[in-house]
Amino acid sequence: MSDKNKFRKKIERNNKIAASVISISGYGVILSIVALFAFLLYETIPLFYSASVTKTVSVPSNKNSKIIFGDIDSYKELFYSINEKGIVSYYNVKEKINSGNDTIPLLDNEKIILSEKSTTSIGRIAIVTDMGRIINIKIGMRSDFVKDKRNIVPTFEIENNFNIYGSNKDSSFGISNLSYDISSDGNKFWSWLDNKGNLYLKIFNSDSEQFLDYNLSKQTSTFGLTALIIDTENELLIVGNNSGELFSFDISDPEDVTLKGNWKSSNNKITKLAFLIGGNTLIVGDSKGEVESWFQTRGEDNQLHFSPINKFKKHNSAVAQIIASPRNRSFLTIGENSSVHLNFSTTSTTELEFKMNDHSIVYGTFTPKSDGIILVDNKNNLGVFNLDDKHPDVTLNTLFNKVQYEGYNEPEFVWQSTGGSDSFESKFSLIPLIFGTLKGTFFAMLFSIPIALLGAIFVSQFSSKKLAKIVKPTIEIMAALPSVVIGFLAGLFFSSLFEQNLMLIFSLSLFGPLLMILGISFFGFIPERIRRNYPSWVDIAFVFVLMCLVYIIVSTTVYPLEHLFFNGNLKQWLYSSLSVTYDQRNSMVVGFALGFAVIPIIFTITEDALSNVPKSLSSASLALGASKWQTVKKVVLPAAAGGIFAAVMLGLGRAIGETMIVLMATGNTPILDLSPFNGFRALSANIAVEIPEAPVDGTLYRILFFTSLLLLTFTFIINTIATFIGDKLRKKYARF
Amino acid sequence: MKINIEQALGKNVKVTDKKLVTVIRTNKVNFYYTRDKKTLDNINITISEKKVTAFIGPSGCGKSTLLRCFNRMNDLIPGIKMTGKIEIEGNDIYSPDVKLEDLRKKIGMVFQKSNPFPMTIWENVAFGPKVNGITSKSDLDEIVEFSLTQGDLWKEVKDRLNSSAMDLSGGQQQRLCIARALANKPDIILMDEPASSLDPISTNKIEETISELKNNYTIVIVTHNMQQAARVSEYTAFMMTGNIIEFNETSALFTNPKEKLTEDYITGRFG
Repeated sequence: MSDKNKFRKKIERNNKIAASVISISGYGVILSIVALFAFLLYETIPLFYSASVTKTVSVPSNKNSKIIFGDIDSYKELFYSINEKGIVSYYNVKEKINSGNDTIPLLDNEKIILSEKSTTSIGRIAIVTDMGRIINIKIGMRSDFVKDKRNIVPTFEIENNFNIYGSNKDSSFGISNLSYDISSDGNKFWSWLDNKGNLYLKIFNSDSEQFLDYNLSKQTSTFGLTALIIDTENELLIVGNNSGELFSFDISDPEDVTLKGNWKSSNNKITKLAFLIGGNTLIVGDSKGEVESWFQTRGEDNQLHFSPINKFKKHNSAVAQIIASPRNRSFLTIGENSSVHLNFSTTSTTELEFKMNDHSIVYGTFTPKSDGIILVDNKNNLGVFNLDDKHPDVTLNTLFNKVQYEGYNEPEFVWQSTGGSDSFESKFSLIPLIFGTLKGTFFAMLFSIPIALLGAIFVSQFSSKKLAKIVKPTIEIMAALPSVVIGFLAGLFFSSLFEQNLMLIFSLSLFGPLLMILGISFFGFIPERIRRNYPSWVDIAFVFVLMCLVYIIVSTTVYPLEHLFFNGNLKQWLYSSLSVTYDQRNSMVVGFALGFAVIPIIFTITEDALSNVPKSLSSASLALGASKWQTVKKVVLPAAAGGIFAAVMLGLGRAIGETMIVLMATGNTPILDLSPFNGFRALSANIAVEIPEAPVDGTLYRILFFTSLLLLTFTFIINTIATFIGDKLRKKYARF
Repeated sequence: MKINIEQALGKNVKVTDKKLVTVIRTNKVNFYYTRDKKTLDNINITISEKKVTAFIGPSGCGKSTLLRCFNRMNDLIPGIKMTGKIEIEGNDIYSPDVKLEDLRKKIGMVFQKSNPFPMTIWENVAFGPKVNGITSKSDLDEIVEFSLTQGDLWKEVKDRLNSSAMDLSGGQQQRLCIARALANKPDIILMDEPASSLDPISTNKIEETISELKNNYTIVIVTHNMQQAARVSEYTAFMMTGNIIEFNETSALFTNPKEKLTEDYITGRFG
């Protein structure tokens, strides 16, 4: 008795253990799916965070001397400002102590009135004094490591100075605007407006080591010039006047500066101009507070013209400052009434509006890594702000809508994540990728659905059991074929085979089935008494012989046909007559290869669904005098509809998620083109292609997570639909 | 199919004379599922027109196999072999000239397990006529009503012809299958244990239906249930191990069996 109890207890214990292990694993599966979703979301969501600024420090300043310049090192540790008396004072932001001064040698009573830093060379500053001198200084930030502790050490150097008034000092003379830049080959550019509206350009030619002076006011034919800017590539000087006109000068050749063109950009006085990184986008601010971006597009005359692109949020007062970020296409616009806007040119959004205080801001700049903002107001308040704006170039609009990128004539869907230079404008439209995925899937399904469905119908309903026993496992082995092998074959072998035998492939896929159907219908003429008696392999042998025959017929007639209709080369004819280009790795090849991967899935599940239709149903139909085909069409197929639908959807899910084949068998060109002779780039392949370009936590990194989330959602939705509709169909047709 | 003078004559004779007309005649039928498994052994039987003939016998005796030979449902099974001759209305049904579809249209079949199609009631009944080429909706409506009436189901379902056949009860489903078989206007109805999976009330209903049908159709029924055979049939064949042991009028076979084996079986000594 006790033995029996022991035994029973043992069984109960085992049952409990089994039950808990099973339920833990079950919940584990669900949990891991949810966790995966959650993780992808967690990595994706920061993409859409809006920008924020937080004030880190107020740097103390001498209230008596106006501050005209301020900057910080790239680690945001050592701040320095220059005041009108030429004192450069350093302030350690971390330890909140003054850490020394440097002095710009000035004459007696000489005051600094303007300063401008070079956008391309860090720490190069041009300073204008009220006595007409331009002094060029260089302030470097060296990081020293003492006992593994970083210590920022400033270096200060006066480069040169020159007097722009010449000898006659006139107190009514002054400089209202200055633009200063140093090109990569050492040429230096200064351009300024005096308070009479004259425009000057001074160039230091590093080849000839000579200064060249230009007075360009006459060329503009108007007076009242109010703003100017040299682009960051040092090719253009843009000047604006008080009636909203802009003039561009070609300064790419220091020896020959010419007026290139002029155009009206506003109805108001131009108050500020700035070029964004890369030197393509010009931001124009006017006296009514309007901010608009312009860049050059190719017009109908095939010439480059500046065109208005985006308008940004208006200021309530004249635009006083426009400051371009040294890292990306962000820029600050500051109104005279002290409002500060942070804008991003690609997305054409104003991400942030804030105020330091109510005093008007006289100077502002981005920190060297564009992760902070420095502002100076007219009461000598110095503010250093942290800027948290890691992914300014991504909004739902840029991901899914047309955007006019620099150099494009119109808004387009473009994916081009990285470029050759730091100033590259990233183009993150997901539309070409989604389109690519759908295109590949479409061609794959076009190829695989008929073959897989017809094959499954044949194997489950018509073929002999012996043949089915061979065919089914063979196709299941096909499913086990690594997709890299299929992709490899498709990319290296089939693509060139297709290209060389384009006409043959076309003819075969068009005439092949037709001739096959013709040939097979000869079966109908063979009397039943003969047909009943031959063994089942005769069918297969006949079909095989027929296939060979069809191939021979098509392949011998195809080349004469090609000569007759397509001048001997279909590929060339496509290009010359229809201007369709033929890529070697194109959608047809992918459709074929991807179809190859999808066929086993659709085939196997369809075959199972068809075979699971109870024999009693088909018997009933046959007993009612229906033919075999009528039975399949009217009874078996409807009864298996749920399973067939699920099979197709699962195949679709596989085609969407498949990576290796689309990666290897297409050119991975993210273009929007319906032509089957072009390649594409699928979402999945894109992830594989872009991984090496995506630093952790960068924008591209997060976009790749976003695309994985999209892919997962796609396949999730498709599988859910497959299950849902499959169940409905099963309920409707398959209640047996 | 050729018009058989004998058959035509036979039919004429029947109206005036009570003489029985043979509809199905088998001659030395042997049947093998596999090469060395003989399921039917030298079967010779004649089945008369507009009578109910029952096949009884223990499981595996070959009664269902024999039934399925009559509409060649066995043809679907690979590897089978049949020798001998089966004539229906005087024509050899295994002759190469016979079109299976025509043969099966003439011979309705009701299966052991009710197997309505997962369609509406109307579609189920109209299926046979439709696959045999009748397309007119009014013709089909007429056939559906006629068949359902004959199958004793019309009253119960006439208001819901468009609802799914799967919503019917088991007995109703089986009567629907009978009506479906009748829709082709067959001469012969083969029933393979039609009531074996039904409760007594439904069984009773099916048996009533059969009794009504026997005035117009030749019915061959395979059954496990000897009382059923006794109730519905006029002739009974007792089969064992592929042989027909005894074939006689039902009353005679049950009350006065000539063979010892028959007696043992009907008195329940084995089976």
